[in-house]
Amino acid sequence: MSILKKLLPIDIASGMKLTGKYFGRNFLQANRSKKHVHITVEYPETPISIAPRYRGRLQMLRDEQGEIKCVCCLACEKICPTQVITINKGKKEGRKTPYPTRYDFEMERCIFCEFCVESCGFDSIILNHQFELAAYNREDFSIGMHGEYQDMFRVSPVGQYSISSSASPDAPDYTQ
Amino acid sequence: MMTPVQQVVMAVIQITVLISIILLIVPVMTFAERKVIGYIQVRLGATRQAGGIRGFAAGINKLSWAMGRIPILSFFRGLPVFAADGLKLLLKEDIVPDRADRFVFVIAPVVCMIPAFATFAVICFYPGTLFVFPDQFPIVGGLPFTGFLTDINVGLLYIMAVGSIGVYGIVLGGWASNSKYPLLGGLRSAAQIISYEIPLSLSLLAAVVLSGTLNFRELSVYLAGVPTVTAAGDVVQMPLIAAVPLFFGFFFYLTCGFAETNRVPFDLAEAETELVSGFHTEYTGMKFAWFMLAEYANMMAVSAIAAGFFLGGHYLLPFGLQRFVPDGIPFLAEPSLLFFFGKVFFLLFVFLWVRATLPRYRYDQLMSVGWKWLIPVTLINLLIAAAIRFAF
Repeated sequence: MSILKKLLPIDIASGMKLTGKYFGRNFLQANRSKKHVHITVEYPETPISIAPRYRGRLQMLRDEQGEIKCVCCLACEKICPTQVITINKGKKEGRKTPYPTRYDFEMERCIFCEFCVESCGFDSIILNHQFELAAYNREDFSIGMHGEYQDMFRVSPVGQYSISSSASPDAPDYTQ
Repeated sequence: MMTPVQQVVMAVIQITVLISIILLIVPVMTFAERKVIGYIQVRLGATRQAGGIRGFAAGINKLSWAMGRIPILSFFRGLPVFAADGLKLLLKEDIVPDRADRFVFVIAPVVCMIPAFATFAVICFYPGTLFVFPDQFPIVGGLPFTGFLTDINVGLLYIMAVGSIGVYGIVLGGWASNSKYPLLGGLRSAAQIISYEIPLSLSLLAAVVLSGTLNFRELSVYLAGVPTVTAAGDVVQMPLIAAVPLFFGFFFYLTCGFAETNRVPFDLAEAETELVSGFHTEYTGMKFAWFMLAEYANMMAVSAIAAGFFLGGHYLLPFGLQRFVPDGIPFLAEPSLLFFFGKVFFLLFVFLWVRATLPRYRYDQLMSVGWKWLIPVTLINLLIAAAIRFAF
């Protein structure tokens, strides 16, 4: 029996069957159909799906009236281990709670620990799903409330060098 | 009757066509290797060029991405990669290691490549005339363009003799590199090819014993199972029972063919986990490309021989089962170039398929498989074939 097992390449045949099955499947479905079998992603052209708890860049939120939710309690600034958040308290007409006149976030030192979001009692900041954070200049990592690339409310001030579809206007919303 | 000038011109034309077909298939094979292994490993293989956001490479990538939307073209998306591969090999610096044997170092890839191409001289792609040149052609007008280069009666002997010269290139290249890894790779390759030449010849001998000829064309026609007329005027046909040794002989031959061409799972000559890259560690540029060319041409030769001998050659059904196809059917009952190349391409695919499936043998396993198993079973196969020849 053992001689027969050595003579007949059953294990080789079963291995060939398995790889042949995978080849057939991928060969027939490789045409970028809606349901593709291959596990790799053609990243720059096709948007990739991100896990819901992915910790991307810090982003401020607004409420339904378009008002900044932040009330300058400074909890995030205090808890931040690397001290990348700087907040200036201010006043605004017709608003009872304090208003941040300055909210600076220096991303080059951020460790994306999400303590700031957890400490926030007003759900006014989140870590969004933006992952293309590379930039050519150090200044691009200093993100705040003012200026063209200083927007804490939008996705991608530093992702401007991305060639993926997330940089295009109809990009998927990473803030979900 | 052809004049000597006509003979020379016809030979040159046929050789040119044959060599260009081989040189066309080899780069396509390297591309197919990326894609097939990619699909087997649940990914897409080569789909784009490396490059920036702008520029030529980006344009090619955009084109490739657009090709992905068209059903058949989507399989050819990485095609610029192989053009870039060839360009890279041409433009690369040609490094000869210090204190290497320069003459042998340069001659080794050529020694490896020439036998690989010379094997095709006797392989019969089609047993007859493919087309006749029209009379308007100056020298070759009215002459037939045959499906084989030469039709010598010791064709198989020639294949065996020339095919085993190729190992000299590997051994010489390994020795001339003046480096320990190539030397070990070359020695391993020599031992491996000596071991596997015997079962390879024995598995082919079964086919020779059945048909009683060494001529590639007569062999393939006889082993396809169609009735043939001999020179004496008798009608001979292979007995049906002969399909048994042919069937087993095919698998033995294919196994030995993998070993002869140094392909996975017998690629001990270039075992990259142990010997960096084996015998071509020190080779760069076009010299390395010649080694690659020889390897792929050898794969094609092994596939063509297996197709011609065991898979029915230019007929539809393998193992001498062509007799079951009735004569009346227009396309299926006739020999065709398409059948032959279809079989060759399928066997080339099998090479890639096996490469993506099987791990490499250990050296002692390789030797024990060759000497303890393959030689006895091919001998038994040969005995069965001889008994069938004797009985019928």
